[in-house]
Amino acid sequence: MDPSILILVISFTFLLIIGTPVSISIGVSTLLTMLVSIDFIPAVTTTAQRMGGGLNSFSLLAIPFFILSGLLMGQGGIARRLVEFAKVLIGMFPGGLAFVNVISCTLFGAISGSAVAATSAIGSFMIPTMNKEGYDKNFNAAITVASSTTGLLIPPSNILIIYSLASGGVSIAALFVAGYIPGLLMAAFLMIVCAIYARIKKFPVGERPCLKDVALRSWEAIPSLALIFIVIGGIIKGIFTATEASVIAVLYAGFLSLVVYKEIAWGDLKPLLVKAGETTAIVLLLIATSTAMSWILSYENIPQDLSTQLLNLTENPLVILLTINIILLLVGVFMDMTPAVLIFTPILLPVAESLGLSPLHFGIIMIMNLCIGLCTPPVGSVLFVGCSVAKTSIGSLIKPLLPMYAAMIFALLLVIFIPALSEFLPEFFGLYNMP
Amino acid sequence: QKNDRQQTLKLAHTLNIDHPVHKALIYMAERLKEKSYGAMAIDIYPSGQLGGERELIELLQIGSLAMTKVSSSPLEEFIDEMKVFSTPYLFEDNDHFWRTLNGDVGRHILLSGESVFLRGLGFYDAGSRSFYSVNKPIHTPDDLAGLKIRVQQSQSAIQMVNTLGGSATPIAWGELYTALQQGVVDGAENNPPSFWSSKHFEVAKYYTLDEHTMVPDIILISQYTWDHLNPQQQGWLQSAMDESVVYQRKLWAEATEEALEAVAAAGVEIIRPNKAPYQQKVQSAAASAAQNQPQINKDIINKIKLLRK
Amino acid sequence: MSTVVLISTRLEKALSNFLAFLMAAMVIDVLWQVISRFALADPSSYTEELARFLLMWVGLLGAAYAYRKHSHLSLDLVIKSVSPAAQIRLNRFIQCVTFTFALCVMVFGGYKLMALTLSLKQNSAALGIPMGWVYACIPISGLFICWFAFDNFIHAGSHSENNNNSKV
Ligand code: NA
Ligand code: NA
Repeated sequence: MDPSILILVISFTFLLIIGTPVSISIGVSTLLTMLVSIDFIPAVTTTAQRMGGGLNSFSLLAIPFFILSGLLMGQGGIARRLVEFAKVLIGMFPGGLAFVNVISCTLFGAISGSAVAATSAIGSFMIPTMNKEGYDKNFNAAITVASSTTGLLIPPSNILIIYSLASGGVSIAALFVAGYIPGLLMAAFLMIVCAIYARIKKFPVGERPCLKDVALRSWEAIPSLALIFIVIGGIIKGIFTATEASVIAVLYAGFLSLVVYKEIAWGDLKPLLVKAGETTAIVLLLIATSTAMSWILSYENIPQDLSTQLLNLTENPLVILLTINIILLLVGVFMDMTPAVLIFTPILLPVAESLGLSPLHFGIIMIMNLCIGLCTPPVGSVLFVGCSVAKTSIGSLIKPLLPMYAAMIFALLLVIFIPALSEFLPEFFGLYNMP
Repeated sequence: QKNDRQQTLKLAHTLNIDHPVHKALIYMAERLKEKSYGAMAIDIYPSGQLGGERELIELLQIGSLAMTKVSSSPLEEFIDEMKVFSTPYLFEDNDHFWRTLNGDVGRHILLSGESVFLRGLGFYDAGSRSFYSVNKPIHTPDDLAGLKIRVQQSQSAIQMVNTLGGSATPIAWGELYTALQQGVVDGAENNPPSFWSSKHFEVAKYYTLDEHTMVPDIILISQYTWDHLNPQQQGWLQSAMDESVVYQRKLWAEATEEALEAVAAAGVEIIRPNKAPYQQKVQSAAASAAQNQPQINKDIINKIKLLRK
Repeated sequence: MSTVVLISTRLEKALSNFLAFLMAAMVIDVLWQVISRFALADPSSYTEELARFLLMWVGLLGAAYAYRKHSHLSLDLVIKSVSPAAQIRLNRFIQCVTFTFALCVMVFGGYKLMALTLSLKQNSAALGIPMGWVYACIPISGLFICWFAFDNFIHAGSHSENNNNSKV
C-alpha cells in the first residue's frame, strides 16, 4: 500500500482515539502525509493556504448567519411560539415534536440549500424544546442531523450545481426537479423511524387542545411563521440569494426578539454574537483542515487509486453498482461533500454510465450517499454542528443514528433500483431526454 | 514506468475533463513525453481538485505545485500587465489578437510575472466574452441600461460593464445559476463554451455576441520549477507547449461552434449586433480606463493599437 | 492569580470582543449588499469579497476562542476510561500536539504565506487590499492557540475534571 495513505490513516486514527480535537487531528495527519512528498516549508505554507482558502467562500456565510438567527429565535421567543403552534397541531400524536422537527429541518434545508444551516437554525431551538418536553436528548440531536440533509436534494441546492459542473453538463434544472422525490422519500422514512421510536420509547403525548387554544397559538405564531415566508418569498422574488437569505433571517429574528417581543435586551446581543462566532468557528476549523486533507488526498491520487482497485474486483454489474455505493458511503464517512463530489464524479460517473445509469440518476445517488456521510464521524460537518448545538457527544449520537442510517440507506436503495423516482419528474416536465 | 530520473511536473486547473483546455493539456503531456524520450511527464489534476484559480497561482509561488492554467483575469491581482486584457474592444478581431499574443507584446506579457515567481509558457484561446440576459434581449448598449449584469470580483471587470452601460453586480460564481433564475441579476457575460457548459442558457434565453473583451487563458510554470530544469528540458517543455497552443485553438474553435449550435437548439436567441455603437460607447471611456492603468500598461496598449491593420 | 492565568483571561476577553465585532460587521456587510443591490439599484462592488474575508477571520480567531473554551469536538472514549494520572499525561500530550500544529502550520506556515503574498504584492480583486493582511488571521490565531495550549499544559493537573464542557 502507498506509504502516504498509511501515514494518514494511522496518525489520524491514533490522534482521534486519544482524544485530540477532530479538527487538529485532521490537520496534523494532513501535514504528516504532506511531508512524505513535499519539503517542510512549502508543506506548512500549503497547509496554511488550504486552510485559509477553504474558508474563502461566500456560500459558507450561511453557517454563521443561520447559527446567529437560530440563537435569536431560541432566546427571543420565536422558537417557543413556533413550537407551541406545532404542538396544538400535531402534539397530541405520540412523538409529535419529532415530526415537527423533521418537517422543519426539511423545509429549512430545502430553502437554505445548506444542511449545516438547517441543523443549526432548527436544532438550536427544537433540540432544547424537545429536551424540556421529555424527549431523549441524543435522539433529538440525531433526528435533527439526519433530516437536515434532505434539504440538499430538494432545490435550491448548491451541491447539485457543483455536481452538474463536475459531471460535465447534466442540466441543473433537471437535477433540481429530480431531487424532490428522493428528498421527500428520505424525510418520510425518517418520520417512520420517529413513529417507531415514539412507540418503543413512549415519547410524551400532548393533550388534545381546545379550539380556543388552537386559534390563540396560531395567531401568536403568525409573525414567527412569517419568517419562513419572508425568506422563501425573498429568494423566489429574486430580492436576495439563498446565502443572503440567511442574513435576512438574522435581521427579522433580531427585529422580532428585540423590538416586537422584547425578550432580548440590546445588551444581550454581544454575548449572542460571541456564542454564534464560537459555534461557527468549530465548524469552520473543521472545514479548513478537511480542505487541506482533501487537497493532499488528491495530490497523492489516493481517491483514484482506491476506486480503481475496488472496481477491479469483479465484472458483475450488480456488484459493481453496489461497490460504487459502498465507495461513496466510505468517501462520505471521511470527506466533506464538495471535495467528494468534485473528486469522485469524474472517476465514478463513467463506470456508472457503462452500467446503463443516466448521469442524472447517478448524481442523485451520489448526493444521497454523501448525505449519509454528512451524519457520520469522523468527518461529518452536519453531525458536528448537531452535537455542538445539542451540547452532546459524537459517541452518544451513534446509537440513535443507527436506525436513521438504515432508513436513509433504504431510501437510497429504492432510488438506485427504481430510476423513475429520480427520472420521472424531469422527463415529465421535458427537462431531460433519456440518453 | 516512473523511474527515478523522470521529471514529473504536477499541473492543476479548474476546468472539467471535456473542456478543450484539458484535452490540449493532455496533448501537451503526450508531446512532452515523446520529445524527452520519457524523461519528462506531466500529471494533470482537473476540476479544481487542488483549488481555485487564485489559489493555484499561490501554490506556484509557494512551490508545492509546478504548473497551472488560469484565466488572465485572476492574474491581475498578481501581475499588473494582465489588466491590459480587460480593456473592451482593444483587439479588432481574432487575427489582431493572435498577432499580438504571438509577437513581442505577447512574449513580454508572458514573462512579466518573473519577479513574482510566475512564468508564462503560452496563451490558450478563451474566445470573446459576450452578454447574456434572462428577460430582455440586448441589441444596443442602450438596452443594457438598468440591467444588473453579474461580473467577476475585479475592479476592471466592474469598470468594463459599467462603461458599457450595465450595472455591474459581483455574485459568487457558484450562486450565479440560481441568481439568474430568480432574478437577483438580469444577465451575465461569458464566452460561448462556458455559457453552454455552465447551463446558464437554461435560464438566460438571449445571447448577444457583442464580443466586448478577449481574455486569454495562460499556462503558468512556477519560476522555482523552471529554474530547476536544464536548458534541454526547458526547450522540450516550451516546444510541447507551443504545439499544444495550435491544437487548443483548433479545439476551441470547434467547441465555440458546437456551443452556439447547442444553445440555439435549446431555444436561445442568438443576437449578432452591430458592434459600432458598443465601440463608440467605450471610446471615451476606454481612454479613461487606460488612464487608470499603470504607465507600463499604457505603453503596452499603445503597442497593441499599433498592431491594428 | 498567576501571570499565565491573568494573561489568558485578558487574551480571552480581547478575542471575544473582537469576535463580536467581526460577527456584527459581517451581518452589516451582507445586509448592505442586499440593500445596495435591491433598494438602491447600485450594487456594491466590495461587499461579497469583504464578507468572505471577515468569515476567514471569524473562523480562525473563533477557533482560538473555542480552543480556550474547550469546545472543539473530540472523542473522549479513551481518556474517560483511564486513571486520573494517565488522563493528565494524555491531556499534556494532546496539548503538545496542538501546540506543535499551531506553531508549525498556523504560526510559521501562515506567516510564510502572509510574507510571501505581501512581498509579491498580491492585492485582492475588489477591495484592492494586500492579501497578506487577509491571511494574517492564520498566524495570529496560531499564536493564540499556542498560548492556550501552553496554559492547558501547565494546568493539566489542576482542572482536568473542569473540561467536562468539551462536548465530546
Ligand atoms: Na435545498
Ligand atoms: Na462523515
